[in-house]
Amino acid sequence: MPPQSSNLPVFNDNGRKDGRWKNFHFSSQHGIIDIMRLRASQLTKDFGHRTIVKDATLSVQPGEVVTIFGPNGAGKTTLIKILATLLKPTSGKLEIEGADAIAEYSDVRRAVGVVIHENLAYPSFSPYENLKFFGQMYGVKQLEHRATTLLAEVGLQRFLHEPLRIFSRGMTQRFMIAKALLHAPSVLLLDEPFSGLDAAARQFVLDRIAQERQKGTGIVITTHNTELGYLAGTRFLFMINGELEDIAGKNEIQAETLLHMYEKRLTHNAPKGL
Amino acid sequence: MKAFRQIGALIRKDLGLQFRSKETLVLIFVFSVLVVLIFAFAFGPIFPEKVERGKLTASVLWAAFVFAGIISLNRSFTLERSHGAIDGIRLTGVDASNLYLSKVVSNVVFLFLLEIVITPIALQFLDLLDVVTVGILLKLFGVLSVGTLGFCAVGVLLAGMSTSANGGESLLSVILLPLVIPIIMGGAKSTVSLLVTGGLEGGFWLKLIAAYSLIFLAAAYLLADAVIEE
Repeated sequence: MPPQSSNLPVFNDNGRKDGRWKNFHFSSQHGIIDIMRLRASQLTKDFGHRTIVKDATLSVQPGEVVTIFGPNGAGKTTLIKILATLLKPTSGKLEIEGADAIAEYSDVRRAVGVVIHENLAYPSFSPYENLKFFGQMYGVKQLEHRATTLLAEVGLQRFLHEPLRIFSRGMTQRFMIAKALLHAPSVLLLDEPFSGLDAAARQFVLDRIAQERQKGTGIVITTHNTELGYLAGTRFLFMINGELEDIAGKNEIQAETLLHMYEKRLTHNAPKGL
Repeated sequence: MKAFRQIGALIRKDLGLQFRSKETLVLIFVFSVLVVLIFAFAFGPIFPEKVERGKLTASVLWAAFVFAGIISLNRSFTLERSHGAIDGIRLTGVDASNLYLSKVVSNVVFLFLLEIVITPIALQFLDLLDVVTVGILLKLFGVLSVGTLGFCAVGVLLAGMSTSANGGESLLSVILLPLVIPIIMGGAKSTVSLLVTGGLEGGFWLKLIAAYSLIFLAAAYLLADAVIEE
């Protein structure tokens, strides 16, 4: 049974070292939490001569929502793909649920739910067919009930049997959220989960994130929307030019201050001539 | 049990996608019939004696199936990669070797169904249908199925690599054809032997295809993880 958020320790400045979160490992002997949901240490990803992600270090506790703010091209999607084990880092360590996610990727993948720009599904299948197929792959129990319930929750009950290829961006995003939750993962990685969504759908995503957090799911969100990112998150990081910078926990910073800091960083790092 | 369940689900999904994608189905069928018709028009309407007709039919069948196979393999992986569905599958923690096996089986089934339809059409147009008995026809399907297995064993592995590269579709033809020459050669020789003599003359060529297919199947099964993950 995952721990409830109310039982979680407050992550404060003691957990930080040199501006980044120290990799805490709570021991069950101390009666708190056995393992981190996710722990990444000095992840670097090079494509040819370009370094897209530089020494990224972060950890996610059960029930924690880590929001990473960054502009386009900052390396957020690459980082999410590395955390999801879809890309191998050039160097660094990654643990998911205490297991080495680089060496034992096929074991840890089932613990992860992912939303990225691609829909990770088959456009000629309906959302129901897609969830049924992926549910079979995950070995989800009472699959038909689970699939229809999830699709109803994300507001796609009227489109259960329509092919995914006719879906708008927002509808596809709703489907992606249902797919990411299908196997009840303990780690959720959401790359720009609010993009393309209307106000109601954005509220749905926020509510769902809060709900998953209550269940003890560790969540990483990347976004360039500071308002929604702040509402969803419990801890905030910036990612600019491939580098992660740990900023603060939600109880340590106001939304306006965060926005101000983010704009300052963006201005400071903007390419010359713009 | 988990592996069997996953392989079963993958095969059903692959065949569902292949049959739902009418354009692939129509493209492959029309292409194969066109090959048969071109040869029939070029050599007909008065065909040479049975030996020559047998050789001609074997050439037509294998030419049609090899190129239809390339189209099928390409389409099969393009559907997986176009919206990142293959990443969705990887995230389920499925063993890459099982993913490979399911792709081989689904492509073999798909191509074999095509062969069942195209072979009688080729025999009819090349004036051999009345000479071929049911027994020979069944043996011919046996040869075609073994050849198709070998072709897909090699082809799925290479399609998995090539479709992730730029210009992958043309790349597959370039890297696949040299590697399937033993299968095409053995398949064509066995088919000629069947159509001309009604037997396999010791079955050397069939054994060659079977051995080559099994070796590649085993090697590719072990290599699948590197191909899918890298």
